[in-house]
Amino acid sequence: MLLALRDVGKVWLITRTGERVSALESITLDVAPGEFLILLGPSGCGKSTLLQIIAGLEAPSSGEIRFSSVTPGAATARGASTARGASKGPPSGKLTSMVFQDYALFPWRTVMGNIVFGPEVRRVPRALREDRARRLIELVNLKGAEHRYPHELSGGMRQRVALARALANDPQIVLFDEPLAALDAQTRRVLQDELLRIWGETGKTFVYVTHSLQEAVLLGSRIVLMTAHPGRIKLLVDVPLARPRHLTGRAEAEMLDRLDAELTEEVKRAMAT
Amino acid sequence: MTASHARRIGSVLGLLVAWQLLIQTGKLSELFLPAPLSVLATMWDMTRSGQLPWAVLVSLNRVVQGFVYGAAAGVFLGLLAGAVAWIEDLLDPWVAAVYPIPKSALFPLFLLWFGLGDPSKIATIAIGVLFLVLVNTMAGVKSINPVLLKAARDLGAGRLQVFSKVILPGALPSIFTGLRLGAGMALILVFITEIEATKAGLGFLLWEAFQLLDTKQVFAGVVTFGLLGVASTWLLQWLERVGCPWIQRSN
Repeated sequence: MLLALRDVGKVWLITRTGERVSALESITLDVAPGEFLILLGPSGCGKSTLLQIIAGLEAPSSGEIRFSSVTPGAATARGASTARGASKGPPSGKLTSMVFQDYALFPWRTVMGNIVFGPEVRRVPRALREDRARRLIELVNLKGAEHRYPHELSGGMRQRVALARALANDPQIVLFDEPLAALDAQTRRVLQDELLRIWGETGKTFVYVTHSLQEAVLLGSRIVLMTAHPGRIKLLVDVPLARPRHLTGRAEAEMLDRLDAELTEEVKRAMAT
Repeated sequence: MTASHARRIGSVLGLLVAWQLLIQTGKLSELFLPAPLSVLATMWDMTRSGQLPWAVLVSLNRVVQGFVYGAAAGVFLGLLAGAVAWIEDLLDPWVAAVYPIPKSALFPLFLLWFGLGDPSKIATIAIGVLFLVLVNTMAGVKSINPVLLKAARDLGAGRLQVFSKVILPGALPSIFTGLRLGAGMALILVFITEIEATKAGLGFLLWEAFQLLDTKQVFAGVVTFGLLGVASTWLLQWLERVGCPWIQRSN
């Protein structure tokens, strides 16, 4: 196992009312190396919170997160401090990197400047990090846009930069927080294919949050269906379908129907509370 | 040249010509409103005699010193207060109390403390610039999208790196806004502080000319102040273009 969550919970304290709201409850989940894991659920099910906890950006209120590096020495100091039992390694690699929904690109840095940010703050020598960035720019099809600023890019291009920036730290797990939600349908289709290609080429583990059933069935090798209020795991579904997948295919349609029934039930339940 | 350009140039030239003609036909006294050409001639004479360049130099020395001290302190404190909550708590009541005071009202106090020389004037200018830069810098830090701080941390940045690589560049556009406002304030304050208790400077020159009812020299001083204002705006705009090349600008 690459990442093991044991009984993870998160409680938010609403300061105004002093109320305690349980966002996540007893999340137990294993992430296997190289899988494309989808966290699927209605809004409010805590899937983004779960992602932030895995990233170490939020601390869990209870439970335990354990990383175990597959390739020796890929854990980081920060990863090790949030995760008990992780091994320490050189600062070049990093356990997780996040791709945010609204890109979160630094507006004052060019495409190149954004991509080298991670290696730069980790003190990777300039020649090395720029070389790595150039290879990533090719991987995500951004050649020619190296010196443009984010505001000069389309939404789809911005998300490619965000992905390249996350990959630049050579993480074992790339975390995606609804990365394509803000894009138009056509761009989304193109980027979904690209994500699959990059997933295949890099061999990285992807953990991907979405509320789109179609996206989950198109991309995932495994789907975690979550419930809302509190966020819990309702169902774990393997998606053993061959790639490339088509939403109109018979096996895909069956999978969609099955998940649709489960998800609709969840949304109804969530709306009733 | 576009129609818009033509209208702008026409507006300026038309008014100047009308103004000149009004005086040459005797409809207005030059004591009340000197003709544009007379003002130009006066400025030329004052430049040749060294009177005007010297006044500008004396005033610029006060403005630049006050501006640099005030801006440096404002940026430093603004970044700290914007990034560190407890420093903001310590600073905030003082900003709230001193910001609304017209800084010219502090000049008599500084005269008492620092005497009649340059330091009291420089201090007044510095305080005026400081608060404008401080308030804008703090607002700039607060305006940074929190997800950018999260992204920087996720990519491995430490506290100092977040400060230098996210907070500082993120606040830079607002800092420049503060500097532009501060430059305007510095010119206002140098004039006010040069009315009294001084024997040199552009404000002194202008005020003395008024007391002698030398309207041409008053105008010469006003125009020179205007030119200084334009020059400082250009300089800061150029600095902003170099310092923040990522800002989207129209045209």
